[in-house]
Amino acid sequence: MFGKKKKQDTNLLEIIDLEKDSEDLLPDTGQKKRKEKAEKEDEHEVLIEFSDVCKKYSQGENEFYALKNANLTINEGEMVVILGPSGAGKSTLLNLLGGMDSASSGHIWFGGEDLTTYSDNRLTRYRAENVGVVFQFYNLIPTLTAYENVALMKDIKEGTTDPVEALSAVGLKEHMHQFPSQMSGGEQQRTSIARAIAKNPKLLLCDEPTGALDTGTGKEVLKLLQSMSRDKGRTVVMVTHNSFFADIADTVIRVKNGGIENIVHNDTPKDASEVFW
Amino acid sequence: MLLRKMWRDLMKNKTQFISIFLMSLLGMLVFVGLDAESSGAAAAADAYYKKYNLCDIWIQGAGFTDDDIHTAEHVTGVTDVEKRLALTGTMDLGQGDEAFTAYMYINFMNSNNINSLMVYEGDPFDGESEGVWVQEWFARTNGIKPGDNIKLKLDSTTINGIVRGIVDAPDYVYYVSESDVMYPNYQKCGLVFLSPSMYPDPSNIIYNQLVVDVREDMCDDESISVIKEKFETAFDREDIAVTDRDQNLSYATYDAETKQHKAMGLMFAAVFLAIALLGIVTTMARVTASQRTQIGTLKALGFSKAAITFHYVSYGFVISTLGCIAGAWLGYLTLPPWILGMFVGSYLVPGLSGKITGLDIEAIIVAIIISTLVSFLSCRKELKDPPAVTLKPPAPKKVRHSALEKSRLWLKLDFSTQWNIRDIFRNKLRSLMGIMGVVGCSMLLVCGFGCFDSINGLMDKMYGELMTASNKVLLSKDAGYDYAYDLASRYKGQMIEETSVEFVSDSVKKSGSATIIDKGNYVHIQDKNLKPVKLNRSGIAMTNKMAGLLNVREGDFVRWHLVGDDEWQYSRIMQIYRDPSVQGITMYRDVFEGLEYSFVPTAVLTNMSLPGDLSDEDEVSTVLNVADMKKSFAETLEMLNAMVYIMVIAAVLLGVVVLYNLGVLSFVEKTREVATLKVLGFKSARIRNILQKQNIWLTVAGIGFGLYTGWGMLYVICTTVSETLDMYPILSLSTYLISICGTFMVSIGVNFMFSGKVKTIDMVDALKGVE
Repeated sequence: MFGKKKKQDTNLLEIIDLEKDSEDLLPDTGQKKRKEKAEKEDEHEVLIEFSDVCKKYSQGENEFYALKNANLTINEGEMVVILGPSGAGKSTLLNLLGGMDSASSGHIWFGGEDLTTYSDNRLTRYRAENVGVVFQFYNLIPTLTAYENVALMKDIKEGTTDPVEALSAVGLKEHMHQFPSQMSGGEQQRTSIARAIAKNPKLLLCDEPTGALDTGTGKEVLKLLQSMSRDKGRTVVMVTHNSFFADIADTVIRVKNGGIENIVHNDTPKDASEVFW
Repeated sequence: MLLRKMWRDLMKNKTQFISIFLMSLLGMLVFVGLDAESSGAAAAADAYYKKYNLCDIWIQGAGFTDDDIHTAEHVTGVTDVEKRLALTGTMDLGQGDEAFTAYMYINFMNSNNINSLMVYEGDPFDGESEGVWVQEWFARTNGIKPGDNIKLKLDSTTINGIVRGIVDAPDYVYYVSESDVMYPNYQKCGLVFLSPSMYPDPSNIIYNQLVVDVREDMCDDESISVIKEKFETAFDREDIAVTDRDQNLSYATYDAETKQHKAMGLMFAAVFLAIALLGIVTTMARVTASQRTQIGTLKALGFSKAAITFHYVSYGFVISTLGCIAGAWLGYLTLPPWILGMFVGSYLVPGLSGKITGLDIEAIIVAIIISTLVSFLSCRKELKDPPAVTLKPPAPKKVRHSALEKSRLWLKLDFSTQWNIRDIFRNKLRSLMGIMGVVGCSMLLVCGFGCFDSINGLMDKMYGELMTASNKVLLSKDAGYDYAYDLASRYKGQMIEETSVEFVSDSVKKSGSATIIDKGNYVHIQDKNLKPVKLNRSGIAMTNKMAGLLNVREGDFVRWHLVGDDEWQYSRIMQIYRDPSVQGITMYRDVFEGLEYSFVPTAVLTNMSLPGDLSDEDEVSTVLNVADMKKSFAETLEMLNAMVYIMVIAAVLLGVVVLYNLGVLSFVEKTREVATLKVLGFKSARIRNILQKQNIWLTVAGIGFGLYTGWGMLYVICTTVSETLDMYPILSLSTYLISICGTFMVSIGVNFMFSGKVKTIDMVDALKGVE
């Protein structure tokens, strides 16, 4: 695990180097500001910043904003919970964060680069290298075993964690040769987490990760995600409609009607085991 | 890992992928099999022709001298010329009840550098010494060995000779006696070669044929026709006929046979591959649609579009590659030995074996490329959207009401009819594939059984409508008119003369036959529409096929002359008629005599029973019994039977595979609907009827098209079969019934397997799982 951590650090350094090289080429807009802001932050490095991001769907003459003028910052190593009722724009936010959809306007900064300028291929590479996703319904490949689902990541990124190690980390070493259909919901979700962390992503995105699980199992998953942030220093962003989860987050972003309602920093987040719902 | 996923997906959808595999396999099996067979057959013949120096040009005439040979040798491009005397005779064989008279081709020649004999046993041919060289098949089946003494009857004389060698000749890979229509019988029709010294009157031998060898670089069609023209000017005689390989019965028949097999292979392959492609389209579209969420997940995980596309395209690629290669391999292993095995009795070509050609490799590659491309096109839809969209279930299809649904009639239809009409139109591709499967099945059945009907119809026509006598007595050359007249009056017979004719119209030159008929009622003709008509009293009538070849119509003039006679005639064609087996002209005796020819009967037709010893008379060459001819003909239809078997097996396989695949597809897609109906309280039997109804509609539609296209396929086969045969497609009522019932049985049978599953659908389970 130590070696992996080191690798991550070098990746970061590379990105910073890249920024320096391209500094002269940068337009005189948000990029410089963002850099200055990032330098001011002593404790936390800014990982992601949204500035005036909109996502618009049009159907004939009707226009519909799934997300309107969203501005937010996510720091490295933070545990962020995005809260809101269904249809508020949570999933849109998550999709944009994960590079799974593109914004209609505005800028999304990630490590000094603007995702909105990325081509499809570059966006795919962004997902492959930087983002791990945990879905509400796990989305494992049904015809692959737990081990194989995790090992799949080797196909898209070099230097991934060994699948056995990743599955051991989520406590599934015993079940690693089972197919998804042979596992319980909690086990499938843990496999999904193992798959996400095997890539050593900078950003772990979770879409209602406990939504399909019972309370007990859900809590186990929650603990696992919290430890990813606390112990391993990963940035974890979790989307949920369950307001109880706000207690465990470092930052809570509330979304309503396609806009950001408020952003609250929590200096003393609760332990996942203390949460009840 | 994606490879494992592919493998398990293939296993999960194995029925559909197996059906694609089978269709690719069948297509390639038939194509490569028939192509390897025909290419192998052609290659074997080419090698044979080359090694034993098949002549390039034949010159037939009443008589050739050594001066004529010199004349021929001086034509530019000619390398060698040899003279022959080609005659026909008979030979008595067998003993007791088994006794028969064989029809013999008898060739006298003094040298043998052209059309060299291939010796199996005995001495090489020697034009200087005495002896007889006998064709191998004839010798083997009749137990003739070197050293045996054989007797050949040549008109009224008999030639006695010792067998010196057992041989095959490159200019005789196919030949038939006068009693055989199309299929040769080499046991009853023999071929012998002798030196001129064996001729009954060696000092007065008159050669009637020159065989010509042309320089190898001048063997193209153009140079050959130039050389042929030069011969005609050089000889400046009207009695000669110059023919090339394409006009030679042996060469042309064999050539046509191999070409026909190649064409058949292509036709079959096209049908099967089209269905394989439809299978790929429907299956891949379904697989990718059902894996929409998985595709979205892969995208979200960071797999590139190219990687995912490659993954799904490889399904089609892998399956079609496996199918095509397995099919090609199986085709190469099975069809050539089987069909070439049947060649053995029909064509006397040594060294027959299958041969893979560049075309086969190209066909495999093209089939794989098309299959891969089709799978790319059918899964592209799920790949174009960003992951956020693909992760969600698809937007429901926009459903529009069809014109029918808006009409008043719609409301009067019952629920199952409405449901099925909607289902068919909303799954057009699937419905189309079902219809195609049924079309293919009934088409092949109609065509296969139609071949039988057409051949039987041909026989019935020839020996029941056009020639109504039960016996045909063939007269020997020197029988004379008086003998024929005597025979005809004794047995209430009809005298006819059958002779060879050459026709010229514009630049087209064709050889055919002339039939001159005397008083009597055994010969009939039919017009273009196969209606019986009376033969024109005052002029000549020409067969439809010959008129087509010469590009003339009724009322046009045509130049013709009897082979062996240099008097050219210029006659108006008074009538066009159809004859299946003999192409040329027919006229009454008085018309013939009006042209200042003398009528020399070559046969007498009669319905009376004849004494058994009639054929022993010197003036009689052979007595043909129509019933025996029909029977022996039916026994020689092996090759045709094989083709029909292939078609029927292919038809059933095609029907079963396509419909089974389709059944799986629609059943899987309808599981939820069926479960819903069950929850609503529909009985299983009722639901089964609903499903069966659609199947019956599609089957009926498919059969309708199938009967039509089957007839078309039969028409193509019949009209291209050969230049001398004028076959017409005939479909009997029983063929229609068998084809319709057979297709229905396949369709309903396959469907029954699925509708039986209605009972086993678990309502709760089916409605629960969305994926």
